Amino acid sequence: MDQTAFIINTLLPALWGGLVVTLGLIAFTAPFGVLIGAGVAVGRVYGSRPVQYLARAYVTFFKGTPLLLLLFILYFGLPSIGISLSPFVASVLGFIFCNSAYDSEYIRGSIRSIKEGQFTAGLALGMARTQVIRYVILPQALRRSIPGLVNEFVYLIKYSSLAYMVTVVELTGAGKMIATRYFTYNETFLVVGLVYLFLVTITTIGAHLLERRVAIPG
Amino acid sequence: MQRNLLGLLVLLLAGCVLLAGCTGSTPATNGTNQTGLKTKYIIGLDGAYPPYSFSEKDGSFTGFDVESARWIANKSGFEVEFQAVAWDGIIPALLAKKIDMVYSGMTITPERAAQVAFSKPYLKINQSIAIRSDSTITMDDIMAGKVVIGSQRGTTGEMWVQENLIDTGKMPAANLKSFDNFPLAITALTNKQVDATVYDKPPTVDVIAGKDAKILAEIDTNEQYGIAIRKEDTQLLNTMNHGLDQLMADPYWNELKTKYKLESI
Repeated sequence: MDQTAFIINTLLPALWGGLVVTLGLIAFTAPFGVLIGAGVAVGRVYGSRPVQYLARAYVTFFKGTPLLLLLFILYFGLPSIGISLSPFVASVLGFIFCNSAYDSEYIRGSIRSIKEGQFTAGLALGMARTQVIRYVILPQALRRSIPGLVNEFVYLIKYSSLAYMVTVVELTGAGKMIATRYFTYNETFLVVGLVYLFLVTITTIGAHLLERRVAIPG
Repeated sequence: MQRNLLGLLVLLLAGCVLLAGCTGSTPATNGTNQTGLKTKYIIGLDGAYPPYSFSEKDGSFTGFDVESARWIANKSGFEVEFQAVAWDGIIPALLAKKIDMVYSGMTITPERAAQVAFSKPYLKINQSIAIRSDSTITMDDIMAGKVVIGSQRGTTGEMWVQENLIDTGKMPAANLKSFDNFPLAITALTNKQVDATVYDKPPTVDVIAGKDAKILAEIDTNEQYGIAIRKEDTQLLNTMNHGLDQLMADPYWNELKTKYKLESI
């Protein structure tokens, strides 16, 4: 009884505030992650030598840096060179770097899976290189990347919890605050875990619907 | 082929469960000596909490509480091992038997005492507020809730902010920034990401030494530190209480206090 009252009156309102922040982190990260990821992937496959190296360096750096370390550098480190970011902005930036690096790999794989002949055919029809990439290659490649991108999105939902380390009170941070204050670790983290599971489940269902919707007929 | 693969999977899974079972049932410490005490205890501490417990360059722990614990262990005839644990999870770690006691500047509070047993108090301290050296913030600004405050998650400093500023409606909850340890909060203070910190006074003095920060005020919370031990470990509690009595009667106690600049508090 006491526990039910605690969950309804104290835990859920606090977690609701945290959930809104978590959704905000995801909403600001995911679109840029895919956009930059697509750009980096195209750069690696079709770019000039310098662009290819730059894109590869970007992916190597952000894939190779632990996300937590990245967040620490962005939040605690940058002020030493005069750039002070708010906890939320630092987190979103860190997530975008990480997310886009991984997304680019999924998209690059899909681009590679499109037959070379299509590119040649496009050029033979008088299209410019950028037009072939934009209208022939990417529409197919992005479709093929959906499972990978969704996978990364699911990761994003979960690693967005790292933002609490730079004082963003998102879902996990809100949970930790309540848990330490009221010594209710089991109840709190059980509910927090269920919320994440719920978010991931919705994403999975949504992804399935999206895949069906954009499927190329035939 | 398909069936073989499935069989392998089941076997693997069974192996994992078995292994998990083994490690899960291994107690944190084993072996007892003739007095009924174990031969070795694991002490949980905040690893970035000078002057009480902090790591040296070689990764070993030292500090007022660490040296006190070593002295008591030596007198009482058991070994100790130190284990750094995130402060906001240190009492759950104690209850889950990952550690055997918390000996790391832990204030005795009614909320904590409902979960664990505490030794007799061994040190009395107050909270303090630190601000940047050139800051013009006053105590009135703090009490009016206008200042962004940094604290460590799960500490009495953070509880003070919650109870006196947030719960009373003087300060929006967003003005409280919680960090995993106190040195990070001070980093944020000197970075101008927070404008004040609330924390135990002796570690505040220690951490801000040589940095662009000063103490604005002391808050008379009259807190007392105790060693936290599981409620059922009465024997260990008695031993630690006896050990504290011995230590505080020994000249070494004042030596330690002088060494860690705790004599004047």
